[in-house]
Amino acid sequence: MTRFVLWTLGGVFLGLIIHLIVILNLPRLANNDLWNRMAAIAEPGEIALLDAPAIGEGNPLELDPALAVAVCRLDLDDGPGIVSGRLPDDFWSVSVFNTDGIAFFSTTHRAATANRLNLGIFNPAQTRLLAERDIAEQSDFLLVESPGNQVFATVRLAPPHRAMLESYRKRLAELDCSNLPALPVVANEPPPAEGGAPVPAPPRQPQ
Amino acid sequence: MRFIVYLLYAALIALGLGLGLSYYALTDGRLVGARQIGPWLAWPETGGPHPDPYTRAYLARHGALQLGSSEGLRFVAETDSDGQPLDAACTYLVDGKTPTATLWTLSAVDPDGRNIAVSASLPYLDSYHLTRAADGSAMIAIGPNLVPGDWLEIAGTGAFRLVLRLYDTPIAGGRDWSSSEMPSITRGRCA
Repeated sequence: MTRFVLWTLGGVFLGLIIHLIVILNLPRLANNDLWNRMAAIAEPGEIALLDAPAIGEGNPLELDPALAVAVCRLDLDDGPGIVSGRLPDDFWSVSVFNTDGIAFFSTTHRAATANRLNLGIFNPAQTRLLAERDIAEQSDFLLVESPGNQVFATVRLAPPHRAMLESYRKRLAELDCSNLPALPVVANEPPPAEGGAPVPAPPRQPQ
Repeated sequence: MRFIVYLLYAALIALGLGLGLSYYALTDGRLVGARQIGPWLAWPETGGPHPDPYTRAYLARHGALQLGSSEGLRFVAETDSDGQPLDAACTYLVDGKTPTATLWTLSAVDPDGRNIAVSASLPYLDSYHLTRAADGSAMIAIGPNLVPGDWLEIAGTGAFRLVLRLYDTPIAGGRDWSSSEMPSITRGRCA
């Protein structure tokens, strides 16, 4: 009897270890995760519209049929990422995801000025350069720091009526999704003083 | 011989427990990381910037486009308020207030996530187009049988789920949970 209990406890202990191994390793091993799905849909630097799920059809992304959704994939190695444009005066929201499918930044229309989405995504090195250039003075600029260079942003837009879904999808298609070839310069930035410290070079010069 | 039997026995327990626990923890019926209000379940960590290991594994396995925590929160109900599984052959009344939100949408899906609404012109209901009582509450009917008022017609048989997405809501960030109320789900006539 003692031996039976010991073997049972051994099995339970080993089962818990297997459970932990599965949970901790699944994110690394999954090949049909959100990043891979987005990479198949959206090219870097281009807006891709996600199809609203139709009745009776699969909805692996678990999209809301009521909202128009656009994706912008960006490689920050090509320069800071920008997602910008004017949106209708209705609910919209934006999230930025990393390669693990984790939304490390999200906000809604309430964070914008005059319904203008003006989102900048920067890696840590680009953020340091931005701080030196004091770009935070642009009040409607949403600055997001990404730990990695591979990201994608989603923009969700809610039409006030279902009949307007298609026209709102077109509004999303007009958003700008691109990499800045160089760090943006604030319009009223004073020129560097003669003999002063040189302005740090942006991570990548214009082509 | 006895040693081998014991070894197989322990291996079966280990595999069954290890894989079974993992499957449970990674499916939508899981209670790991769940917050519950009545029959409604939500997993707020899925939209957060620092999810726990279980949520990370869930995100990797499902590959769904989650709502960021500032965007909103998705609730799922698989049972009515009495704990009985939702059946597409029955009509349900969804009655009561929802937490503060700029917008919410309600849809009915089968266990595989396919929308089971009948009309392509009305695949969901939303908070923009509802008849409300004086206290702000709404009463919605969901089922195959015509009901006056706000009615989402569905088709099919067997189990289904209700998905309620709240947009721009403070509870997505973990606030106001204790004082939040969600609509009740009451079973009506079954076909």
